[in-house]
Amino acid sequence: MKAAPFAYVRPSSVAEAVTALAEHEGMARVLAGGQSLVPMLNMRLMRPTAVVDVNRIPGLDTVAIGPEGGSIGSLTRYSTLEASADIAAHLALLTTVTRHIGDRQVRNRGTIGGSLAQADPVGEMPLACLALGASVLVQSVSGTREVPVHELLLGPYWTSLEPDELIVEVRFPTAPSLFAFSEVTRRHNDFAVLAVAVTATRTGEGFTGVRLAASGVEATAILAEDASAVLEGTSLSDAEIAAAVEATVDVADPSDDVRASAEYRVHLLRVHVRRALERLRDGGDRV
Amino acid sequence: MSDKVHVTLTVNGRSVDADVEPRVHLADFLRHDLGLTGTHVGCEQGACGNCTVISDGVALKSCLTLAVQADGSEIETVESLATGDQLSPLQQAFKDAHALQCGYCTPGFLMTITALERRGGALSREELRGELAGVICRCTGYETIIEAAEDHLAEVAARG
Ligand SMILES: Cc1cc2nc3c(=O)[nH]c(=O)nc-3n(C[C@H](O)[C@H](O)[C@H](O)COP(=O)(O)OP(=O)(O)OC[C@H]3O[C@@H](n4cnc5c(N)ncnc54)[C@H](O)[C@@H]3O)c2cc1C
Ligand code: FES
Ligand code: FES
Repeated sequence: MKAAPFAYVRPSSVAEAVTALAEHEGMARVLAGGQSLVPMLNMRLMRPTAVVDVNRIPGLDTVAIGPEGGSIGSLTRYSTLEASADIAAHLALLTTVTRHIGDRQVRNRGTIGGSLAQADPVGEMPLACLALGASVLVQSVSGTREVPVHELLLGPYWTSLEPDELIVEVRFPTAPSLFAFSEVTRRHNDFAVLAVAVTATRTGEGFTGVRLAASGVEATAILAEDASAVLEGTSLSDAEIAAAVEATVDVADPSDDVRASAEYRVHLLRVHVRRALERLRDGGDRV
Repeated sequence: MSDKVHVTLTVNGRSVDADVEPRVHLADFLRHDLGLTGTHVGCEQGACGNCTVISDGVALKSCLTLAVQADGSEIETVESLATGDQLSPLQQAFKDAHALQCGYCTPGFLMTITALERRGGALSREELRGELAGVICRCTGYETIIEAAEDHLAEVAARG
């Protein structure tokens, strides 16, 4: 199918972009990588009056990541994240999940900001950003605000962004030293049926700052805070892991869809939370 | 509201000036406006990869890029590979390995592999399969395509 007509705006600064968004009073859409937006335009699932192409805004794809975290510009492409030595060294979970997203062509175009705004319920990037405690800096004509990712994601393809707001960058606190990621897909690099990401720091015999996030079991990726509490300071014994698995299942409420039944999703959740935590105990995943 | 936009770009080394409607994607622009029908359209949703072209050195699906976005870019399509009737080494590798049957997917694979070849670096068979996973073929079962790509990339590496 072919897209319905729309006007094309190509701002050369963030200020110009948010002005264009405001002028169209919620009827314009930001065009970043286009890997979700353009299919929706082509299928006429979306008929904006204007498309605001942010691809030529200088500086919107700056990666500034170090030992204390930092920021990633919203227009940074998956391929850039995948190849960044700084991200591999300090936010290795991001490098790992990026390799599970789409194919080479999709990763050459798709952006971190676009994937957070798209809020696919099983998107790898929202899940990883949730586990890493990231937030987004958003801008509109009325100013800027910082939104934690857990407040950004409201539901499937639904965020707390106003239609005239642009995600400018994604901010990361210091990442815990360990992570594990476990995902189920029906085909290589397809959208996930379910995924689990966990991060923590080892202090002596115990693990602290455990953050466990899961997707595919709720309307959006979730943080299992009770499971984190169960595990805090423990050595992740089999019994502690089993308790965390049940605490995660308690906050999950999956529904049936084309990829899997609700019952099967709960089964998968048990298996993959356990595996991720066991791997974390054994030293975590490597890039 | 959907006024045409003037674009200037380079396609296969030739400079192109055109007025395009913003809603037209790059694959349709190449095929309908420029007559470059080597770029194939299978789904217009980003799923089949048959429309893959190279834009400023990067492989992308041309159904997911608007033609207006290509303003100022250098686009390469499958038509850039052969010289007259003379197949390029990659095309010859496809022929030798029987890497096509109906040929619908072939332009997408050729352009994906061309971008990969320029990126350089050795790849395992698994990594190569991963790099080519964005193009769908309904005929061959992929084995011969992977073989052709492997043979070609090995030859390029040997030539240095
Ligand atoms: C074949 C294929 C396979 C895929 N596989 C996966 C997969 O396995 N996992 C996965 O997670 N995703 C997958 N995707 C989707 C891909 O990750 C998208 O790139 C991503 O969801 C959107 O990023 P984008 O930059 O392309 O955004 P766009 O498509 O440009 O935009 C998406 C939405 O976000 C809005 N938006 C974009 N940028 C901003 C911004 N800075 N501020 C505010 N709003 C903004 C747009 O208006 C639009 O509503 C796949 C896509 C394809 C085509
Ligand atoms: S036509 Fe572009 S991916 Fe199928
Ligand atoms: S050769 Fe027919 S689709 Fe690949």
